[in-house]
This record gives sequence, C-alpha cells and structure tokens, in this order.
Amino acid sequence: MTTPHEYVTLVSGDGFEFVLPRSTACISKTLSMMLDPNSKFSEALTGRCVLENIPGVVLEKVCEYLCYNEKNKNQTNVPDMEIPPELCLELLMAADYLDV
Amino acid sequence: MSMRARQRIRAPRRGIPASKTDDFETNWADLSTSLKKIHTRDASNLSFEQLYRNSYNIVLMARGEDLYERIKKLEQEWLDAEVKTRVTAAISSSLLLAKELAEVQEQANERREAGERFLAAMREAFEDHQLCMGMITDVLMYMDRFMSTDHRKPSIYAAAMALFREHVLQSPIRSDSKTKVVDVLESTILFMIQLERSGQIIDRVLIRHCVYMLEGLYESSNEEESSKLYLTIFEPAFLDASKKFYQAEGRRLLETGDAATFCKVATDRLAEETERCTYTLSSSTESKIKEVLDKELIASNISEVVNLEGTGVRQMLDNDRLDNLRSIYVLSARVDPKKTPLTAAVQKRIVEMGKEINAGAVALAQTPAAIPAPKKTSTDKSEAAKRPAEKEKPVNQQTAAAIKWVDDILGLKKKFDSIWETSFQSDHVMQSAITTSFSDFINSESRSSEYLSLFFDENLKKGIKGKTETEVDSLLDNGITLLRYVKDKDMFEAYYKKHLSRRLLMKRSVSMDAERQMISKMKMEVGNQFTQRLEAMFKDMTISEDLTASYKEHVKKTGDPDTKRIDLDINVLTSTMWPMEIMASATRDDVQLSCIYPKEVEGVKQSFEQYYLGKHSGRKLSWQPTMGTADIRLEFARSNGKIQKHELNVSTYAMVILLLFNEVATGESLTYTEIKEQTRIPDHDLIRNLQSLAVAPKTRVLRKDPMSRDVKPTDKFFFNHDFQSQFLKVRIGVVSGSANKVENQDQRKETEKKMSEERGASIEAAIVRIMKQRKSLTHSKLMTEVLSQLSARFVPDVNMIKKRIESLIDREYLERIEEDPPTYGYVA
Repeated sequence: MTTPHEYVTLVSGDGFEFVLPRSTACISKTLSMMLDPNSKFSEALTGRCVLENIPGVVLEKVCEYLCYNEKNKNQTNVPDMEIPPELCLELLMAADYLDV
Repeated sequence: MSMRARQRIRAPRRGIPASKTDDFETNWADLSTSLKKIHTRDASNLSFEQLYRNSYNIVLMARGEDLYERIKKLEQEWLDAEVKTRVTAAISSSLLLAKELAEVQEQANERREAGERFLAAMREAFEDHQLCMGMITDVLMYMDRFMSTDHRKPSIYAAAMALFREHVLQSPIRSDSKTKVVDVLESTILFMIQLERSGQIIDRVLIRHCVYMLEGLYESSNEEESSKLYLTIFEPAFLDASKKFYQAEGRRLLETGDAATFCKVATDRLAEETERCTYTLSSSTESKIKEVLDKELIASNISEVVNLEGTGVRQMLDNDRLDNLRSIYVLSARVDPKKTPLTAAVQKRIVEMGKEINAGAVALAQTPAAIPAPKKTSTDKSEAAKRPAEKEKPVNQQTAAAIKWVDDILGLKKKFDSIWETSFQSDHVMQSAITTSFSDFINSESRSSEYLSLFFDENLKKGIKGKTETEVDSLLDNGITLLRYVKDKDMFEAYYKKHLSRRLLMKRSVSMDAERQMISKMKMEVGNQFTQRLEAMFKDMTISEDLTASYKEHVKKTGDPDTKRIDLDINVLTSTMWPMEIMASATRDDVQLSCIYPKEVEGVKQSFEQYYLGKHSGRKLSWQPTMGTADIRLEFARSNGKIQKHELNVSTYAMVILLLFNEVATGESLTYTEIKEQTRIPDHDLIRNLQSLAVAPKTRVLRKDPMSRDVKPTDKFFFNHDFQSQFLKVRIGVVSGSANKVENQDQRKETEKKMSEERGASIEAAIVRIMKQRKSLTHSKLMTEVLSQLSARFVPDVNMIKKRIESLIDREYLERIEEDPPTYGYVA
C-alpha cells in the first residue's frame, strides 16, 4: 500500500476545493473513516473527498472550524469562532453529516 | 449574541442539486450493489462519500429501519450462500472423527492437516467477514448513529457478527448432521493443543486467530463480556480436556517414580501453559488453566511426590539437590500456602538426622566405656601400663561426643539454613517448620543442655585460641542459635554455671572478653534474669581480685617479717550465686571434718579470715580446698647428689599431701591411712590426688608401692627424688577432677534432682506472683499463665505445677474458692 499523502483535498458540491492536512481533516469522524487507508474506497486511495451535499461557503466554514479545532486542541479559554448567523443551520447539517 | 439574534436566519437550501435522493429504492439499489462489491473485494472504484450519502439520505427519509433490516437480510444471504459453503467444504471426514483421539500416527497426521485446512478456512472466512463488515459499518455510520441512539438496536456490525455466529458457526456442517461447525472447530483446536502438549509443533498463529474469532463473537447480541463464545464454549471444553490430560500425566509421572522428573515436568508444563495462553489462546485463560494444573497435576500428587521412595524430598535433602528442592518448593507453594507435605517431609528428615546425631553422640560416648570393661579382668602387664592412658580416655571421649554432637547439629543447621535460603526462598512457614523440628530433636536428647554447655566450655577454654574476633563471634553465635532451640534453659544455665565457675576459678578461660561477650549474647537471647547469676559470678571474681590485693597490702602494713610467707590469692564467692554442689563434691560423706592444713598454710588462712571478717562482719567463710591450686617449689635430691628444682602447680590437697613429706626422712614412706589421718582429706579427693601424684605417668612426684592403678589403704607412698621433667614448671592436674566432662549417672541424678527442686521453687514463685495480682483464678487459666511465664526458662511439667498448687494450698498461700470450675483464691 502506498503511504497516505500528508494532505487531503475536500471538494464541495459546487466545485470548490480545500486542501487540508490529513490530521486536521480526520477530526471529522466521517472524513477519517472515508480516508482510512485500510478501507479500499476510492477516497482513501486518491486522498480526494467529494462532498456533494455541502456547498462551498459552508465547507469553507467547516474547514475553518477544523483548523480552529486543531489549533486550539487541549487548550482552555479559547476565543469563540466567528459564525455568521445565516450559515448556522446549514453548518449544523454539515456538522451532523460529517460527525464533527 | 443578542446582536446577531436579531438578524434573520436563512433557511438552509433544500436538497442538493442533481441528486436522486428522494427515492428509497434507487438509493438502496445503489447501496446493495456496492455492498456486494465490497464483499467480493471490489471496493476501489466505490466512492465512500457516495455510499455514505446514500445511507444518509435513506435515514433522512426516515427509512433507516428498513435499511437496517435489508442490510441484515443481505448479509444473511451472503453468509448462507457463500461463506458457509466455503467453511463446510473445508471440513473433511477425518475431522469428524473428532471425539476419539487419534492414536495412530498416520491418522493423526492426516487429521492434523485437515484440521489446519479447516482452521485456515475458518480464519479466512471470519477475517473477510470482519473486514467487509468494518467497511460496511463505516459506510453506514450515519445509520448506525441514528439506529442505536433512537431505536436501541445493536450496531450493524454487532448484528452482522451475530449473523455470522448463527449462520456459519452454529449451522450444521451437513444438512443431515447435528454436528455444528463450532463443535468441529472446538475439537480441532483441542486436538492441536493435544499435539503440542505431546511435543509437536503446531501453527500457533492460526489457532490464535480462531481464538480471536471466538473471543470476538458473543452468545447474545448485547455483547456482554461473559457471553463471549470463547468463554461459553471453548474455554470450558479446553479446561476439561486439560484436566483429563493432567490427571493422566500425573499418574504417568508417579509411575515413573522420580520426584525430580516430576518437578521438572510440572514446572515445564506450567511455563508451557503460560506460553500457550499468551501465544495461542487467550491470556484470560491463564489463571484458569493454571488452577487446573495446580489442582490436577500438583495438588493431588505433591504429597506422593514428596514422599517418593528413593527420589523424594528426603533424597534431595541428603544429596543437597538444591535446584530440585527449589522447584518442589515452588510447586508446593503454588497449591498450598502451608506446603503441608513438604514441611512434613522436611521436618521428618530433620528429626531423623537429628536422631542420628543424638544416637551418634550416645554411641561415641559409650564405646570407650564398653572397651575398658573387659580388660579389667586381664592382668597382663603391658595392659597395666596402658591403663592410665585409657583412664583419661573415657572422659575425653564423652566430651568429644558432646562437642561432636554440637558440631554435627551446627552443620545440619547450616545445611538447612542454606537450603532454606536458596531453595525455599526464605519462606516463613518453612523457617518455623525447620525451627520446630530442630528444637524437637534437640530436646529429645536429654543431655542437650549439658552438651551445649560443654561445647561452650571447650571453646572458651581452648577453641578460641588463635582465632580472630569475628571467628569467635560467629562461633558463639552458632552456639547461641542452638541455645534458642533448647527448651529447658534453666538446665543449661545450671550446667553453664558449673562450667563457668570451673573456668573462672581454675583460670582456664582463654579470654575474659570472650566470656563477657558470651554472657551479653545470652542476655540478649534469653533475658536478664537468666544471666543475672552468671554476671554475679563475674562480679565476685573482680571483687576477689581487689580483696586479694588489699589483703596483700594489709599484710605488708602489719609488717610480717617472714619472708617465707605464702602468697595467698583468694576468691570469695557468694554461695547463692555459685553452684556450690560441684565444689563440695563429697556431699555423700556423712560428717565432713575440715581438712587439716599444714601449719604454714593454716597461719595464712587464719590471718585472712581475721582480715576478712574484720572488714565484713556477720559473714561466714567456708574454705573450698577442692577448687584451689598451689604453686610449690620442690627440691629433688638426685641419686648422683645433684639437686634439681622444680616448681609444681598442684591442687590444694596435693599441696597438703606433699607438704607432709617435708617431715618425712628420705626413703621413708607414708601409708594411705597415715596420710588420711594426718590430713583428713576426704577419701574420694585423697585417692584422686594420690593418683595424680603417683600414678599419672608424667607427674610421678611420689612413688607408690605396690605400683598399681588403684589406691588401697595399705599402699605406701615415697617421695620420688628421681622425678624427671624437662620443664622447670610442672602442672599437675587432679585426675578426672577438673576436666570438662560429661557427668556420670550419679551426678546426673544429682543435677536433675537439684533442677527439679529449683523448678519447683520457680513454679511456686510464679503461681504466687500470678495469684497476688489476680486474687482469684480458675485452675485452667492459672495453668496457662504459669506455663507462659515459665516457658522462657523451661517447659514445666503439668503434674509438678499441680503438686505445687496443692502444696501452696496446704501452706495456706492459696485457698479453693469453688469446685466447679475449680477456682483458687489468694490468701493475703
């Protein structure tokens, strides 16, 4: 088996691509399973996840959150993340889908 | 947040463009083909996201339950159709002979191969299933989350595993047969283990994987720890098989009848089972299988092994097989913290060896006594010459026996100490067992106290010459260890006192430091009370030295002009502290008239008495000539006219006798009766002293007529001017008077009588002490208290205590208060 790439690409439903470190992406359980090198799915082999039901704006925010989470891991007194209210419902759905 | 709350929240956009989400059937069709692809290992073209989205959509459509059921059905069909056939195909007919063990080698080989094939198939099937289900579960995660939280259903993974159990393991291997796949699996693994136990090499990894499978499957779908198939099915069967195997093994090993082999095999088996549990089976079984081993192989056989004729513990002890002993100890310790059979065997052997030592000492003590007896009848001249030598012998022989006894015991003790340390891992139970057996056999030898005291005596007199301090220390320590075992410590005290007094008075002790060291060691070991009197003896010695010095001073001051005065070196002893009976050895004589001293000596004696009584009024001095010595200067007129001078160190009595010859002209003689009349020395002492002066070969200061060993009242004694010695100073010991020796029968009786009197007194004292404190006490309680108070010194005889109580009641120290239970009261 080839060694898994260090970075993975997330693709939104409307075609935006986001490149994240693998560890950051794997904060989402869904993504981590998707990218698990032991499963033989195409995502795991290519390192590219197409998330068809998430629009680019939301995925951007999701990626922002993933990075935010990674950065502030194991810390207290972290400043809140800026979330525009118009996005919150969609974000919630995406969070449910990605199991973050 | 309040600022934001005012803003309108846009409803999320419904749906995703270009998706066929709305239709459950389309989604399912997609999903099911993909799942089948996963099973056939064709997943690389599948998009996880797509599958995930499918199941996500289905769940969003609130058809999650349908999906769950359908997947279950799909899996079931797959297992039934594919996996089961594959597994059952691997079961060959030879495996079905499962129940009876294959004894023929060929059959075993065939069966083994078939078994390996089957296990491999099994393992492959399960691993496939596991892998696929892992992937499927991943894909269906969204459903799982939904189902298990909202509907309390087991995860699809667990459900699929349960399906595997039902449809593969618990399905019959043939449609017409009752044997299930799992039964075959079980018997096959057991067979493999059987093979390994009999020394063949098996594919451990394979079995390990099958065991993993059993461990991963549960009896019911709620996955309780205790309902693992491994625990419910395989483990009991395994333990049962092992039990039978080890029962048989135990019997077989006993038949070969070699304890060392047994230990080795048992130890190996233990290690083997541990290894098996780690590498082949599950580590959770380790404790259980060890229990089986302990019970079946070790516990039920250990006592027989320990007692095996010729190879058992006895043999190991005799031959110092420390490693074997250690393994047998380890085995015993596993099954029984008390290690009963082993301790019993060790104890038995110690007591046996101890008895041998006892018997050896007795034999050694008696042989020389037996030999001279018949020779007395013969009158051969050459033998007569030998006699003096023989006469010394029995005494020394007895002493040697005593010392050999102590040395042997010390050797034995050392041996068992080292065994205890190296083989028994310094186990406390073993230690106390060894200690009790030592004290058992030491106390079974009635002369042990005397022997031990003799041992000390010998060592303090001669043994420690030229030894370093540490050597002396360890020597004394060894002795003290033995003392610890001796129960009748008062007996030992009496003997020790006796020997000590001889050493002190005759200045035989090599080193006073060693003596003091000894006392302080005993003090630590046995207690203050024990050494009190011994210390008092030392004190008397020091006081006497001062006294002698001050007396000399006194004499100088009074200005006695007599230059020929006799130097007096005196020891004043407190009669209660010293064992007087050994000095007044002539107690059986009815009336003891004191000896008549020559006038020179008498003068000194009176002068000292005067001086002493002047210092301490109200004391009574009694003189003990048996214990004293004197230095005298003698002139021997040789027949060639020369005069030879010798200084003799003799006992007080011998001095008195020799001084008599001052008055006797050369060539004249004194008969025994004459000497006796003139000196009033008791018969017993006189005979001994005359023997040492006239019979002992090197110290014949007197000539005796007739020349024979026995002294008769009519014998004549002459001063021997031809006395020859290469030394200027000669020491003449009194025959058998002062040597350290084992007591003869009479003396023993005497000591014992005295002992029991003393014990009676201490028992009475203890009773009175206790009663004074308690006022009233029942008989049994009084008994226990007395016993515990006295146990440090000796083991009192119960009858003796009873008698003492009676006597105290007679003398109105105690009274009977009640009859039932018998209770005594203290009469103030």
